[in-house]
Amino acid sequence: MPSHRMPSEADIISTVEFNHTGELLATGDKGGRVVIFQREPESKNAPHSQGEYDVYSTFQSHEPEFDYLKSLEIEEKINKIKWLPQHNAAHSLLSTNDKTIKLWKITERDKRPEGYNLKDEEGKLKDLSTVTSLQVPVLKPMDLMVEVSPRRVFANGHTYHINSISVNSDCETYMSADDLRINLWHLAVTDRSFNIVDIKPANMEDLTEVITASEFHPHHCNLFVYSSSKGSLRLCDMRAAALCDKHSKLFEEPEDPSNRSFFSEIISSVSDVKFSHSGRYMLTRDYLTVKVWDLNMEARPIETYQVHDYLRSKLCSLYENDCIFDKFECAWNGSDSVIMTGAYNNFFRMFDRNTKRDVTLEASRESSKPRAVLKPRRVCVGGKRRRDDISVDSLDFTKKILHTAWHPAENIIAIAATNNLYIFQDKVNSEMH
Amino acid sequence: MEFKLEAHRIVSISLGKIYNSRVQRGGIKLHKNLLVSLVLRSARQVYLSDPCPGLYLAGPAGSPAVSPPQPGEPAAGPPAGWGEPPPPAARAAWPDAEPRPERLAGPAEPAAPVTGAGDTPRGGEAEAAEAAWRRVEGQREAAEGGAGGPAGGSDGFPEGPRGARRPCGCPRGTEDRPGPLGACPRLDCCCAPRPAEDEPPAPPAVGPRKRGAADVGGGPGDCPAPGSSPRKKPRRNSEEQPGGAAAAAEEEEEEMETGNVANLISIFGSSFSGLLRKSPGGREEAEGEESGPEAAEPGQICCDKPVLRDINPWSTAIVAF
Repeated sequence: MPSHRMPSEADIISTVEFNHTGELLATGDKGGRVVIFQREPESKNAPHSQGEYDVYSTFQSHEPEFDYLKSLEIEEKINKIKWLPQHNAAHSLLSTNDKTIKLWKITERDKRPEGYNLKDEEGKLKDLSTVTSLQVPVLKPMDLMVEVSPRRVFANGHTYHINSISVNSDCETYMSADDLRINLWHLAVTDRSFNIVDIKPANMEDLTEVITASEFHPHHCNLFVYSSSKGSLRLCDMRAAALCDKHSKLFEEPEDPSNRSFFSEIISSVSDVKFSHSGRYMLTRDYLTVKVWDLNMEARPIETYQVHDYLRSKLCSLYENDCIFDKFECAWNGSDSVIMTGAYNNFFRMFDRNTKRDVTLEASRESSKPRAVLKPRRVCVGGKRRRDDISVDSLDFTKKILHTAWHPAENIIAIAATNNLYIFQDKVNSEMH
Repeated sequence: MEFKLEAHRIVSISLGKIYNSRVQRGGIKLHKNLLVSLVLRSARQVYLSDPCPGLYLAGPAGSPAVSPPQPGEPAAGPPAGWGEPPPPAARAAWPDAEPRPERLAGPAEPAAPVTGAGDTPRGGEAEAAEAAWRRVEGQREAAEGGAGGPAGGSDGFPEGPRGARRPCGCPRGTEDRPGPLGACPRLDCCCAPRPAEDEPPAPPAVGPRKRGAADVGGGPGDCPAPGSSPRKKPRRNSEEQPGGAAAAAEEEEEEMETGNVANLISIFGSSFSGLLRKSPGGREEAEGEESGPEAAEPGQICCDKPVLRDINPWSTAIVAF
């Protein structure tokens, strides 16, 4: 996404999400804007330019607000976007900032009625004396116009900052989670929501953990998971009770005592949780690793992948410059065989669960000429250094890839690098393996 | 020893983060503040468990030549960032200037086992005191018109360290308001549990920072005059009434509680009071009390009275929580 003006903080992309078919890609930024990209249909004439994404629509979703009662400014930054499954020609998505969730409807208009009896082409009323006959207006094609309108505003549901939203597979409800509570909403009802998780202690002094992310199960509309700052996952069943404070399953890995440090607790905080497409597994991201959990095994993850373990010895500096609080997201590919997550220096990592191979790639203008093949990168941690290796100390920690998304079916990924969006396609292996 | 230095540094950094979180856009982030407070707790534990109690922690450039706040003098800042302890010579003057050490001596014994992670006898009274203190804190902040107050009153010196000079934020000597010590929420602070004190802990739990210039430690200059403090609680109460009713009426109007940030505030002075005003503060130190396993550490008695006297104010502040 080319930035036509000086890069400002408002342009920093804060969320990326493909819709269910992968035809549309939505991004939200710190300035409260949403930009939707659409994949161009493959053209027989130019097979090489198959399926590139172009800007489809841009709109301002949220504005900065001020809560006068509490003297709080509410940021307009879009924290999450989730698409609704499509039921008709229109597309719908939910976008949220810290406090308010909005439902947007995106419609296309590519025809325009012409031949009104009472109005002329510009819409001005005709002089009735000139009207001698009646005609039926006809629809004529026009340049495509994409219209976006806010259909619902779900406000005042959260006291704390919303960190995630998730649409239920029933397509009627969705949930929103803040630091201490999770609410269930009906998509058609804005004045009411049901609180389904509340971990706020009676005495805030007893607070030990907060909710960091949550998601509905892709197939079972009664199941959802939420992650905590302590590194645990709780699977909850809404059929069990109205208030799902008691989890059905608790997924937690015992801490490795040899890795204990001042920052053990911070780095174990889960920043993202995603169900696999199959619904059988969950993927979590904490500061240094991504982990795959089997829903049937609560004691420990079935797979753990090191994203950038070379940072383990630098945690104090990363604490100082606040990088240790960065919340990286993670993603599954369509077949759940590869997982992806971002890192620093505009690097992102992919792990193949079957071959156990991993690769580090870079999202940067220099290395991403159109149709260029991304070259794997390597971070050297001392010892023998190869030519193109980057040393840990020369990593740029201001260039972080927090938000990534994988096309639901194809090997197309969207990478948000600060204020730039990169879309990479695997042309060679365009089918999943 | 290096652990102690590292811990000391991490505590400084953490306090700085909590301070800065006040002015961040979008309000205080509960999650981040919770994590920072966890780091603070870990660092504190290491600091306290490191077996070189009386050691003076010099800054990287040697001891900065900063004299500790003298009575009636606004706290001066260390030139090189905050957290640098004052030089030993000046430090020696501190205990003399304040009756505090005497006070420390008293409760130090019973309090000693409470240090380290042990927020053991977190009596109900102390909690009430703390809660009361927090209410007053918030009120005071409201009265001061928000976080701008303390910052504005600063003599150009980051509030954290200045507050930090105040050993565990407990009131000093005779000019104590009744119960302000009871207000010292950190039970494991050296002059901690005063539930046995004559004064009820609940009342205008005024932190030492409210002392202002009259304070022995020469607290933050922006503190309201001590005399004004006691008024705050009643006002706060009445303020709470309608607020409470409103909150009861609508769940949505629930105020984001600031939790144990209040503890930090009491220890480190008015600078943090803005946290209460604004937003869900972090989960902060007082969660130490649930650190059961950690409380079992032996040899946490670095709060011996003679040791305390020797430890510079910054260190005692750490000891306090």
